[in-house]
Amino acid sequence: MVPQDYGFFIDPQRCIGCRSCVGACAECGTHRGRSMIHLDEMDRFDSPQTVPTVCMHCEDPICAQVCPSDAIKRSEDGVVHAAQKPRCIGCQNCELSCPFGVPIVFSGLEQMLKCDLCYDRTSVGHKPMCATVCPSQALLFVRKDEVANLRHNKPLRDFLIGSVRVKTKNAIMVPDPETPLHLDAALLIDGGF
Amino acid sequence: MSLLAELDLEPRPLLGAALATLALGAAVALGSRGGRWLDPALLGYLLATLFACFGIAYRYFAWIERPATRMYFRHTLRTLLSPRALKALPRMALLTVDQIVLQRFIEKRSIKRWGAHALLAWGCLLGFAVTIPLVFGWVRFTSEGLDATRYQAWVLGFPAGSFPLDSFLAFVSFHILDLAAVMVIAGCVLSLIRRKQDEGDTATQRFDLDLLPLVLLIAVSMTGLMLTASEKWLQGRNFATLAFLHELTVILLLLGLPFGKLFHVVQRPAQVGVTIYKAEGEAEGRLACKGCGTAFIRANQRRDLGELWKVLELDGARHSAPGGGSIHHLDLCPRCKRRLVAKAQSTRLHGAFDPFATIPVHAEPIPDPTSLKA
Repeated sequence: MVPQDYGFFIDPQRCIGCRSCVGACAECGTHRGRSMIHLDEMDRFDSPQTVPTVCMHCEDPICAQVCPSDAIKRSEDGVVHAAQKPRCIGCQNCELSCPFGVPIVFSGLEQMLKCDLCYDRTSVGHKPMCATVCPSQALLFVRKDEVANLRHNKPLRDFLIGSVRVKTKNAIMVPDPETPLHLDAALLIDGGF
Repeated sequence: MSLLAELDLEPRPLLGAALATLALGAAVALGSRGGRWLDPALLGYLLATLFACFGIAYRYFAWIERPATRMYFRHTLRTLLSPRALKALPRMALLTVDQIVLQRFIEKRSIKRWGAHALLAWGCLLGFAVTIPLVFGWVRFTSEGLDATRYQAWVLGFPAGSFPLDSFLAFVSFHILDLAAVMVIAGCVLSLIRRKQDEGDTATQRFDLDLLPLVLLIAVSMTGLMLTASEKWLQGRNFATLAFLHELTVILLLLGLPFGKLFHVVQRPAQVGVTIYKAEGEAEGRLACKGCGTAFIRANQRRDLGELWKVLELDGARHSAPGGGSIHHLDLCPRCKRRLVAKAQSTRLHGAFDPFATIPVHAEPIPDPTSLKA
């Protein structure tokens, strides 16, 4: 069980694009040798902004809802695990439906893998690999009651996509967490990259 | 009725399971010539197999009722019932050899996993292939007339050849289950070793789901081998006790089949249908992301996921598009979805996306030695 008094706090604004998390992620025992963290550049021409993405561990995961083989399970501690190996048939429904673009389906292996909060580590009291090495603490794994002392911004676990509400275990740091974070594609299209 | 209500069984899967069990019962009755060829010593196995059939069929029908599963199941059925079947069938046969028989995808996941799984899977299938016809009375061996040195094989009540007791064929017939048992034990032991060494598996495995089936398979195989040992080297000592123990472990395994991990044997063929679906999607072409223009989603899967999202009440996940209309969240590629989160956060922080607003942005008093602010 992952301790419930700990939380994962993500702040893309703090990311410096060093890719330490990408290297460290591949050391995780549940998917050793394969990095599950995504580090995207917002737009190299216009901005140095990079975006680290780990699984947000949704309360009612869409990836699990669209999985035809019922292979994606959420454990009692709120962690959404990678697809169960005996069941996954590599259809990619999860990869295409995840609201945050997290799962990766490896063709040939017929297997979906994703960030599982380094379950081999967090279930025995260690931090996830990425949070351990992140120098700017864009990826922060600390006690929930500590975060107020470490950040001005506050954790938000509530997202809005059109009229669909997605609640998550992991948090994004914003100044006003009372209002869900509206993921509006117009931000991408109107503002360009 | 109250028991059914308590079990919360779904009516359609219940009907499907009842029909499947009746069909199996009828097949057993026909194949054993009205039960005449049933072996009384194997009746316990027969009852457990019928229960397993009911449970597996119930779970299978409940599984294909899930909206996402139904999507692929219907597509595969449509393919098989259409003129495309002629083109798809040879490909399906090849895929079945690659994915179900050789299980090459497991080899790509890990050679150790593949080795253990191949021994386990083929040992189990070999064991079932031998025992199920015997339990159902479809295959039976008797002495050939009054000649005690020859064995007569019967298939569905018809004579199917005879062989001398000291022949190679007889040796193989009598010991094929021993071979299956050795394969299963080797596969289970290798799996247990791999599970012990793999940090990921150790962290996520559950005793009831992952370890109990292996323990049960070892128990079944060991008691089966002990029957042979008793008969060969111990003059049949404790044979009745061992036979009871073997029957007990097999029945426990059969009763657990619908509920545990071994149900994946029934699910796995869906992979063949999905591979065909993906190939048809590739032929139809990929649609471009509405955010960045990269081709990413197969047209057939976009259509079907759109329908699926409606059923799952997720269809409201639409964005307003510049110039009117809407963009479905499914029309954004995974990379754009990830960038959208950062952009939304930046907009919330600064009122609009600030391309240079990386750290330090908030002058946070961070008492943290690893922070760049510290």
